[in-house]
Amino acid sequence: MSNANGFHPGERRPLIELRRLFRYFGETRAVEDMSFKVYAGEVFGYIGPNGAGKTTSMRILATLDEPTAGDAFVDGFSVIDDPDRVRRRLGFMPDYFGTYQNVNVREYLDFFARAYGMRGSERRRAVGSVMEFTMLNKLAEKPIDGLSKGMKQRLCLGRTMIHDPAVLILDEPAAGLDPRARIELREMIAQLAQQGKAVLISSHILTELAEICDKVGIIETGQLLAVGTVDEISAKSQAKSQVRLRTLDDSRPLRAWLSQQNDITNLTAEAELMTFNHDGGQKEQALLLRKIVEAGFEVVEFASKTKSLEDVFLHVTEGRIQ
Amino acid sequence: MTSLPSSNAANSSPSESRVSSLVTVLSQIGAWLEALGDRANPILVKETRQALKSRQFTGTFFIVLVACWIASFAVVAISGPSVYYGAEGSTMLIVYSAILAFPLMLIVPYSAYRSLAAEQEDNTYDLLSITTLTTGQIIAGKLGSAVVQMLVYLSAVSPCIAFTYLLRGVDALTILMVLVYFFLASLGLSLLALMAGTAAKVRYTQVILSVLLVLGLAWFFFASIFLVGGFIQESYSFLRETWFWVGNLAFLTVYVTTFALIHAAASAQIAFSSENRSTPIRRIMFVQQACFVGWVAGALSAEDTLKDLGGAIFASAFFLGLYWYAMGALLTSEWPYLSRRVQRSLPQSKMGRMFLTWFNPGPGTGYVFCVANLSMIAITGLILIGFFSSVMTTNPSVDQLLYFLLIGWSYTVIFLGVGRLLISLARRFVYVSMTAGFLLHVILLLVACGLPQILAFMSSPNGSVQYGLLHMTNPIWTLYLLVNNGSTAIEAATLSFILIPAALIVLLLNMRSVSAEMQYQRSLLPTRVAEEEAELHPEPEAKASNPWEEEEKASEQ
Repeated sequence: MSNANGFHPGERRPLIELRRLFRYFGETRAVEDMSFKVYAGEVFGYIGPNGAGKTTSMRILATLDEPTAGDAFVDGFSVIDDPDRVRRRLGFMPDYFGTYQNVNVREYLDFFARAYGMRGSERRRAVGSVMEFTMLNKLAEKPIDGLSKGMKQRLCLGRTMIHDPAVLILDEPAAGLDPRARIELREMIAQLAQQGKAVLISSHILTELAEICDKVGIIETGQLLAVGTVDEISAKSQAKSQVRLRTLDDSRPLRAWLSQQNDITNLTAEAELMTFNHDGGQKEQALLLRKIVEAGFEVVEFASKTKSLEDVFLHVTEGRIQ
Repeated sequence: MTSLPSSNAANSSPSESRVSSLVTVLSQIGAWLEALGDRANPILVKETRQALKSRQFTGTFFIVLVACWIASFAVVAISGPSVYYGAEGSTMLIVYSAILAFPLMLIVPYSAYRSLAAEQEDNTYDLLSITTLTTGQIIAGKLGSAVVQMLVYLSAVSPCIAFTYLLRGVDALTILMVLVYFFLASLGLSLLALMAGTAAKVRYTQVILSVLLVLGLAWFFFASIFLVGGFIQESYSFLRETWFWVGNLAFLTVYVTTFALIHAAASAQIAFSSENRSTPIRRIMFVQQACFVGWVAGALSAEDTLKDLGGAIFASAFFLGLYWYAMGALLTSEWPYLSRRVQRSLPQSKMGRMFLTWFNPGPGTGYVFCVANLSMIAITGLILIGFFSSVMTTNPSVDQLLYFLLIGWSYTVIFLGVGRLLISLARRFVYVSMTAGFLLHVILLLVACGLPQILAFMSSPNGSVQYGLLHMTNPIWTLYLLVNNGSTAIEAATLSFILIPAALIVLLLNMRSVSAEMQYQRSLLPTRVAEEEAELHPEPEAKASNPWEEEEKASEQ
């Protein structure tokens, strides 16, 4: 029997949960029946084209907007009914800076530490450790207006984690950063996940997400099309993998043999080299190779191209906009 | 070895020990100030830091300082030797007041508005609103920052103001009152500016509000100079009068309650929608009415006779009728559903449900809240007229007063009730915001006043319009004629015979939705919230009530 929060006794509570979330702006359906969970220590990547509903759902989680229907929970607290409790547990980094004039780095972090109710030595410790983590120590007295984009981004990440929240929501944190800054940001996020925080991160740079995310959610026109690890999604989506095959001599007999197989499409050949799409996973591909060898063909190369997050994204989404 | 410190202490000179004790005191003061700073509103701390670095603040500060110097030199130069024996203090105080009015009436309130509007423009408001600061703290922080600026400007002018006392012609009490008035006016205007700032959520609203605010503040700037100038010149005659101080106390009551009301309204404007934004405002309205009634009763009791009772009843009914109509137009535009968060704190007991339900958010409860308060005033007025009609003056006459109370009450009940029904009907088809609801009430009043006028004008052969029963939907004209021309001018008896039943019918028509709002019951805390509450506020362990329990507890330990 589940309790009022919808959990069975002993079940692990997710730190982030979207439960049948809807958000309409007039006729526009920004978020449509979205549900997923993120647990402690997980990094959840949010992928979708512009206008897909990523920022809207993130703003709802951050208690900056309200859903038309459904609810979202942070550590079991409803964002609608208990925004004050949610705010204590959540750090939100929007896709804009939000900086003040005539304020330096230390004062900026100090202000937010105060705003989260920290006092005295606790506040000074928090500001110090955040500056150390984001490597802003040397810039402590520098006015924010004079910071580079990468430094501002670090400062915003610092502000997001000043009260040591269990949940971090990062909207396009790597946008506009140079490669070094991106790598550093990626390392920081990985460290935060290791500390047991649940991180929800959106980005357009899919390769970047693939490297740090435990799970991804693909969203288009407000709908969550797929959730899981990249492998799970590719398995579920049944995206065809591309196989490259090279024979020792004439490839025509093998081409004829392959064209009779049901799970092979888009077969092309150029001398000894053939490429085709295969419906199955790695196990099925191994079986196919064995069959080819048993049929007497001399294979010198059999390579299956691993599906990247980009392939999965392109396969799952249809490029719709609203 | 152990004797070394004492020998050192013995060898230390008295000046060294004085220095060390001074250091201890200073470090103690430093620790206190740090503790104070820790407890200060974060926005106040941040904005004070920003203000001290901003060009606008330092620029204005120096302009005020330079203006004061120039004014001082000019007056001394013009006065010549007469400065030693003349009484130029009051003239100088007026000049300094005009200089002080510039930052206090214009710069500080407008900066408060810009400070909140800039948070929206620079996207920092989102960041602020997701911290653990309450909306009340945000408004209080912005206001605190305005107060700090006021104090800095006041301190810049203070040597010059002290100089006016030395010049003679003005006493310390007058100077103090001028400073208090300026401070209160600037604080009130800053709060109004912040209220405007909470409404300025989109660009075009910001532009319109900015223009209106600047015009309003400019008007206050000039008005304050004239008012303070008049006060300084006449203060000698009324600073010793009791009525002046009683009047000031009454004004302070109105100021404090209105300040609290606007503060609550401004906080409600930026609060999360599941918050209870209405109950605090209704409580303040209730207190404000109680203060008003208290002052009227106090003023009457101070008189030897009750001959002014009629005037007091009329003034109270007129003012409170307008007050509850305006407040009712806002309250009846509230959203009719209670959030789950609000439902957690609904009154539970029978008495609580009976008396406190009307403080719950919702248009139905809001309507009943206004009608109940107004009815209370009308009934009190009727009872007073019944008891003391023989001792009251004839202007206004008893029947004028009676009809004013009855017809005025009926109009308020009808207009608020019909407005609420229209809003409810409109909400079936479109989203009606609180502002739109308020505007609907205004349109209803305009139509009710204008339509019969147009019809009468069109049907009149010579274009002149006389008051008739057709105009009974026009409360302004009807009540104006009743007060000025007497009850016969409007056929008050017939009108009451129509309007009172109409008001009761409208009241009954509204009862359906009122009863729906009354159905809400207190809901239980969600499990997760209850868990956290138990963690944060654990119940104290039950104490042993007899020796056997004490033994049992001791053995358990």
